[in-house]
Amino acid sequence: MAGKTPSEKRLHKELISLVKEPPPGMVVDVDQAEQNLNVWTINMQGAEGTLYDGEQFQLQFKFGTSYPFESPEVTFVGQNIPVHPHVYSNGHICLSILTDDWSPALSVQSVCLSIISMLSSCKEKKRPPDNSFYIKTCNKNPKKTKWWYHDDKV
Amino acid sequence: MDNNHETTATKPEGLEQDELIIQQHREIEKEISDSILLIGQKEELTSLETEYINDPVYLTKIQDLNKKYKCMRRARPDGNCFFRSFAFAYFEYLMDHNEEYKHFKERALKSKDELISCGFTQFTLEDFHDTFMEVVNLIGEGQHEKLYDTFNMQGYSDYVVVYLRLITSGQLQKDAEFYKHFIEGDRTVVEFCHQEVEPMFKESDHIHIIALSTALNVGVRVRYMDRGESSEAIAHDFPEGSPVCVHLLYRPGHYDILYSR
Repeated sequence: MAGKTPSEKRLHKELISLVKEPPPGMVVDVDQAEQNLNVWTINMQGAEGTLYDGEQFQLQFKFGTSYPFESPEVTFVGQNIPVHPHVYSNGHICLSILTDDWSPALSVQSVCLSIISMLSSCKEKKRPPDNSFYIKTCNKNPKKTKWWYHDDKV
Repeated sequence: MDNNHETTATKPEGLEQDELIIQQHREIEKEISDSILLIGQKEELTSLETEYINDPVYLTKIQDLNKKYKCMRRARPDGNCFFRSFAFAYFEYLMDHNEEYKHFKERALKSKDELISCGFTQFTLEDFHDTFMEVVNLIGEGQHEKLYDTFNMQGYSDYVVVYLRLITSGQLQKDAEFYKHFIEGDRTVVEFCHQEVEPMFKESDHIHIIALSTALNVGVRVRYMDRGESSEAIAHDFPEGSPVCVHLLYRPGHYDILYSR
């Protein structure tokens, strides 16, 4: 492991763990991640018995050099962006652990589980109320958005 | 799983302004971090006087502190200052107290399994634990300079901070029945830990200090410098009544290290 930065070491460990114990319905593109450890794509299946049953999604994780002290940048990418009150049509996700409540003790695994849980608890498929305004004005990096989290039990 | 992702909705108006504010915040933060060491060199308490030149209340308290303490070290005001100050001050203390060092090392070694049983992911925790122990082992070498340099290397220093944050969180969760009475707002202890203890850069309050000092059984005396009427900076000991080995100075929003006479 000589020559690897702490951040690279950590990402390697995470990749191995994600392949060994993937969150339900998730498969990480290992070849791509091994070529570039800083960008991962995770294929995700909508869970059975939820509003997203049978749908396919892609999640992208981007890691900065300060990972895990800084949170990863996580967005939905590809053709199908889930229609959900916390997911903008450009793929940005409003989830507090991706910004304010990120902790270095969290992991790709825990982010995946939160996203699964977020989709699974959805009762009505709709976009966030400010979607059209947001996607016109936001920064490409969702971490630069000042999110207003509020518990609306969605 | 409903507890750590309340979420959604931005404030639609003024997004651009928000971005500007955030950018400005980042720039300020960077300026601070470039100019102040994670842990500074020892300096006279009178160096505080220049900051409060027109402020008789603070100046009186500084004079009083100066009688009780011979010097101070500043910590970088990045929201981690309590944890970083505590760690450095305590590790320095342990360099001169070998018996206590041995006990602490044992305790630190055991803490890993305790935290895993508390629900932290093993492989993320292991990284922090291993680096934490590397720094703990430095105490045994007895070289103050080396400890100082290590605390100023972000790669080590922040690992120590994270690990202490996790120990604090573990203690709060272990004794949730007790701590839940001190949590403001409609939050469970677990939610509080996720939002205010485990993330980096979140400032510490009494509850963090009580939990950490209890978990490690280390007496901490905090001198509070505020606008109160008293002519001295009032001392609070955590946990109450235990022998003090770490002395900290609190000014609103910030902790530094004190050295008693």
